[in-house]
Amino acid sequence: MQILNKNKLKAALNKLAETADVFVPAARGENSGFYSWKTFDQEKDELMLEALNVYLPPKNVLFPQTERMYSFQEEGSGVVIKESFEDSSPTVIFGARACDVAAIDCFDDVFLTRGYEDTFYKSRRDNTTIIANACYQPGPNCFCASMGVNPTDPATADIIIRDTGEDYVWEARTEKGTALTQKIADLLENKEVKIPELQAFSKNVEYDGVAAKLKGMFEHPIWDKLSEACQTCGICTYVCPSCYCFDIQVKSFGEEGYRFRCYDSCMYREYSQMAGGHNPREDAKERFRNRFLHKLEFFQERYGKPLCVGCGRCIVACPAGISITEIIKEIKEA
Amino acid sequence: MHQCNCENPLLPTIVEVVDIKDETSDVKSFYVKSEEGVPFNVMPGQLAMVSLIPVGEGMFSVSWQEEQEYLQFAIKRVGLMTDELHKIEVGQKIGVRGPYGNGFPVEDCQGKDMLFIAGGIGLAPLRSFIKYCFKHREDYGKIQILYGSRSYDDLCFKDELFEKWPQEKDTEVYVTIDNAEEGWDGHVGFVPSYLEELNPNPAGKIAVTCGPPIMIKFVLQALEKMGYSDEQVITTLEMRMKCGIGKCGRCNIGSQYICLDGPVFNLAQLRELPPEW
Amino acid sequence: MKDISNKIKEIAKKLLENGQVDIFMAWEKGEYPFQTKPFFARNTEEADKIIFDEYSIHNLSNSLLKFRDRPEKIGIVVKGCDSRGIVRLLEDNQFQRERLYIVGVNCPGMKDPLKAMKNNSGFGKKTEEEDLADKCRNCMQPNPVIYDEILGDIQEAHLEGDRFARVKEIENMSPDERYSFFEESLSKCIRCYACRQVCVACNCRTCIFDETKPQWVGRESSSSDNMMYHLVRASHMAGRCVECGECERVCPVNIPLMLINRKLIKDVDQFFGPYEAGMEYIEGAIPPLSVYRENDPDDFI
Repeated sequence: MQILNKNKLKAALNKLAETADVFVPAARGENSGFYSWKTFDQEKDELMLEALNVYLPPKNVLFPQTERMYSFQEEGSGVVIKESFEDSSPTVIFGARACDVAAIDCFDDVFLTRGYEDTFYKSRRDNTTIIANACYQPGPNCFCASMGVNPTDPATADIIIRDTGEDYVWEARTEKGTALTQKIADLLENKEVKIPELQAFSKNVEYDGVAAKLKGMFEHPIWDKLSEACQTCGICTYVCPSCYCFDIQVKSFGEEGYRFRCYDSCMYREYSQMAGGHNPREDAKERFRNRFLHKLEFFQERYGKPLCVGCGRCIVACPAGISITEIIKEIKEA
Repeated sequence: MHQCNCENPLLPTIVEVVDIKDETSDVKSFYVKSEEGVPFNVMPGQLAMVSLIPVGEGMFSVSWQEEQEYLQFAIKRVGLMTDELHKIEVGQKIGVRGPYGNGFPVEDCQGKDMLFIAGGIGLAPLRSFIKYCFKHREDYGKIQILYGSRSYDDLCFKDELFEKWPQEKDTEVYVTIDNAEEGWDGHVGFVPSYLEELNPNPAGKIAVTCGPPIMIKFVLQALEKMGYSDEQVITTLEMRMKCGIGKCGRCNIGSQYICLDGPVFNLAQLRELPPEW
Repeated sequence: MKDISNKIKEIAKKLLENGQVDIFMAWEKGEYPFQTKPFFARNTEEADKIIFDEYSIHNLSNSLLKFRDRPEKIGIVVKGCDSRGIVRLLEDNQFQRERLYIVGVNCPGMKDPLKAMKNNSGFGKKTEEEDLADKCRNCMQPNPVIYDEILGDIQEAHLEGDRFARVKEIENMSPDERYSFFEESLSKCIRCYACRQVCVACNCRTCIFDETKPQWVGRESSSSDNMMYHLVRASHMAGRCVECGECERVCPVNIPLMLINRKLIKDVDQFFGPYEAGMEYIEGAIPPLSVYRENDPDDFI
């Protein structure tokens, strides 16, 4: 099998960064997320490939928090679209965990299927190669296997690396993966190494049947209780690797400007507020219910899978201690 | 149904506003055309995103496409973007993108008698279907139009309502306003109660309704009482929209996106969805 | 602390049983020993779950806002800082005193369950366990200032030096240094609005950031929109922040929000004080910057 010795990791990243923008999991100050290798500070930043995961998911790479769509220029009573910003520069996501890769699969379902392809997403996605980092030691809040994700074998990754201690087993899975592998071929060796075994999950939930059960629970009193502590901030939606809702807004400077999209959160009142004043999801309970139904029922109905990949970030991040696994259990018991 | 077939469904096409007509004190019709004629073809009930490019975008139902001549939007002033839109003049360039959504099932309704029930600006989407029926008059049976607004001033499309439509073959137009006012000798009262008064027979008929949520609620109750089945009742929904292509999330009711899977649903389909409409 | 926890449980049960309150706001235990979370009990059975421990850090007074237009009478447990939040709500006419039964706890200082969750999550770098939450290191008021019943021994303020020390450091920077400091700190903001949502002083019915006619602050996560957001947020805190530190505690990207708040606390105290917000509730009192007068000595309006 092909392996990359860990001593050659930085050389490999440098090599890949010659032809692509490479995003790596890293700790930066008190924060962690996927940062461009170009901006990686060898003194201050720390690679987090050996940590369970990073706090902010890699969705920002394919779907930036703020993304310019097009610029415009006013001319008298006219206006012209100057430029449409479809980003097709080669990009690599290096070392994403299986949960985060599964979340990108959900993005692919949303942005590339069901009637329309989202041009901005497609352009980035087509030019992005995903190198997944197989997971063998689930963390205390991990439950990806319960949500149908295989932590050691993310199906849609272009390349999978497996941490054996001293080396990474390097396995190209797609044409894109093979092409990228060729760029670092001289850093790879052939060697037989032992692949680690997947350890047991400490957190498990039974998702089977939840979507079907929820179909009859829209007006169940359980939502009052579950949503009570929720303060309707947007942390859960912003740290979630699979939450994709966005807003479209405009920025004008005198005669020119641009339209952009940015992350939006279903937890905000303004999200569904109509110009005429009516809001179908005015209360915290209604917004909370919509979020969890979207994750556990609506997405399943539309795309055949839940919109939760079991990464556990929202459980860790919620200031009110709300846990999606607890909610699944409560739904099961209701 | 037509689909937005441009290269990038989120990019607007620049069109020129060639005419603006006051419908009421807070509703204006905007007639737009591109250099080629219309920027895209629409079916009745489909939506388009209208953008006053430096200000904002808003999703509106297309009130009419006149062949390859123009698209017409009847737009009520309700917020920041529509306030600004009402200030523009003929000759102004704006953006449109679309068409989005499913539109009315014009083919499934062929051979049926049609009952249109609208309130206020809710006539704007229905009008495209009404005019389509007149254009293909032989495909549809008797046409009844019931329309109401708060006052005479608030009635949209007055020339059609009082002059043109009543002249059409086998067509009845009923107009009501909420409160009596000087100079009005027509019907006074709310749309649902006028509907019950008229009591149109459900046999062989399709009812299409649009208006404020409270009106829709009582119209649906009245239709049910009169014996209309859920499949005979069609409505078009409104939610906040941003993308128009079923991606941005906010216009969902259950697993359906109003911008993509809607905005037109029959009552049987709506009853399958959570009661957020 | 176990003793206090049991007493709170007893009080809650008694109040719910005799109908003095409809809801009792306290905490329950989460999945982990270090996870304590807000909990609202509505009957004696639910009250059995109530606990109070070293992780009961949340300022529950903000949760009263969910009930401001409702009829329920509410029992609530408050620590020193939380009780100043109650004063905030009363002064802002957001809640009626007679709807509240306040159980005060003299607070020995808390640990942060969020930090512990993060630290034990495997996400990012693991840091040393702390014996005291950051927000409790600058606590001038551990003992509740308003209550119907009080539990625990009176506590000393926990001030580890001058609480304005860092503010003074920033004041002494050159304008350019200061600008780049704030630009860097605020560029991290992901605009999740958690700082606003947990804040008891953020009790406007329609927040300026949700207003769309016009939209006052853009929604880009760019340094200009982020700065605008934080400037507006901070200036709305002037004379109103009760220093509970919840905004900074919940920030998922560690923006030093209390540093910004403390600058305003210091300035309000200096220009309009001596004044510390929410230290006592006097009906009809007029705290600085809380009234509009046509003959205001400043003509900026």
